[in-house]
Amino acid sequence: MYQTSELEINMGPQHPATHGVLRLVLRLDGETIVEVKPVIGYLHRGVEKLSENRGYRSVTPLTDRLDYCAAFAENHSYVGAVEKLLGVEVPPRAQAMRVVLAELQRIASHLIWLATHGLDIGAMTIFLYAFREREKCLDLFEGYCGARLTYNALRIGGVPQEFPDGWTEALRRFLDELPTRIAQYETLLTGNRIWRLRTEGVGVIDARTALGLGLTGPTLRGSGVDYDVRKYAPYENYRDYAFDIPVGSKGDTYDRYLIRMEEMRQSRRIILQALEALPDGPILAKVAGRIRPPKGAEAYFMTESPRGEMSVYLVSDGTDKPYRVRFRSPCFNNLQGLPTLSKGHMVADVVALIGSIDIVLGCVDR
Amino acid sequence: MSEARAVVIPRPAPLPWWKRFFLVEMLQGMSVTMKHYLRGWREPFTVQYPEERLPLDPRFRGYPRLRMHPETGDELCNVCRQCEKICPTLCIAIEEEPHPSGKGRRPRQFTVDYERCCQCGLCAEACGSDPISAIYMSHDYELADYGRDRFRAQKDRLYLGFPAPPAGKGKAPGK
Repeated sequence: MYQTSELEINMGPQHPATHGVLRLVLRLDGETIVEVKPVIGYLHRGVEKLSENRGYRSVTPLTDRLDYCAAFAENHSYVGAVEKLLGVEVPPRAQAMRVVLAELQRIASHLIWLATHGLDIGAMTIFLYAFREREKCLDLFEGYCGARLTYNALRIGGVPQEFPDGWTEALRRFLDELPTRIAQYETLLTGNRIWRLRTEGVGVIDARTALGLGLTGPTLRGSGVDYDVRKYAPYENYRDYAFDIPVGSKGDTYDRYLIRMEEMRQSRRIILQALEALPDGPILAKVAGRIRPPKGAEAYFMTESPRGEMSVYLVSDGTDKPYRVRFRSPCFNNLQGLPTLSKGHMVADVVALIGSIDIVLGCVDR
Repeated sequence: MSEARAVVIPRPAPLPWWKRFFLVEMLQGMSVTMKHYLRGWREPFTVQYPEERLPLDPRFRGYPRLRMHPETGDELCNVCRQCEKICPTLCIAIEEEPHPSGKGRRPRQFTVDYERCCQCGLCAEACGSDPISAIYMSHDYELADYGRDRFRAQKDRLYLGFPAPPAGKGKAPGK
């Protein structure tokens, strides 16, 4: 009788497919995975502790560095939490502008996901195309707030500045060409035999397990749960827009891919509606110069970041610095699903699965 | 309740036999590649940095610098220390002295540690000087140099900009 013994190997922390510094301890039986243990903390910067020693306004640039592929979503969660803490009402124009920027960020973030996910599985071409369109999103963000990645694009009470002249036209031009581009990506991937073989039936997770693990965002919606913060706890003026929440039927990697592609189209739909009905008025609510919420006040604010439910929990002790800032990052919870997803698959599938849960290590480790 | 509704994404049907033939997919993929390759000859996507540079956006946030009063040429900074307080990386340090006119204060030394600066632009927004902010986000973004101490920008550098590297050792930015 032949016998195989289990082998324990390390993947990462320096590995191109782990999207940063994630270390996975794989226990293998031949090439089949018996167990995956993610080891995190290589990118821990202590943002939560650092925030306790900064004024409320100075924390926003720190949140840029959490999820550096979707910095706007992190800004949004933090700023929204402070507004909730203070009971500030954001002016309608600022709300609509935030929706436009948040959905543009979702498109940019899904494009970088598509590029790296494709590259991990072996589709090199898609990487170059998706990055070209992402570049246009970054140019738009640079035109609005002056930075390409770490935007610091929001202020407590609204947005710091109006859209510059010609910006909305440039955005419309980008949105006009986006459906053609997405169709191009689909030509390269959706029907592609290699792509389908690598993603269909890989990492199937049912709705119950996914909910139990605390997965959110497209990773959860792939399993057929229509949980989206924009629908169940609408923030800003999301309830004014008509959009679809794509959900999957099988819960495999291919479903999660299809959902993110559809989400880009839906984001485009939301931006067009928001631009059409952009209200006039002030963009920044009146907030005291020195922010000192009452002692013991608490606020918990959720947003739907491109990766899932991003929320911020704030506690005040009556001073001008937060007593506690807690970031509930979607990437951290989604990473919890990786051991369940990859059980019984091949080593090469782990790479596809890391891509399909779409983690950013800055967000996992905070 | 919002108007959002959940929609199940249809999955494409299993591949027909002619699509299972590997070459069709390859040709389809290659045709997209070829189209862009030909387009690249007409209008290249790349920019030959540093000979060519993309124009910077007016709102671009480079490293913070100081400026004088546009009309009188006096120092604008009145040492209100708002920038020092709001800076998330604590990279600004100001030493003050009384203004020679006997009214108000002015900075004796103003230091911005460019190594720590994260270019968030909060200092320029918080600045309380009149009529324009004394500290502003410049369009400088190239700061290569030969020593760490050279990144602690003091008043001379903050007013005049980053000097070109020593001759013969590199090309000055913008040349």
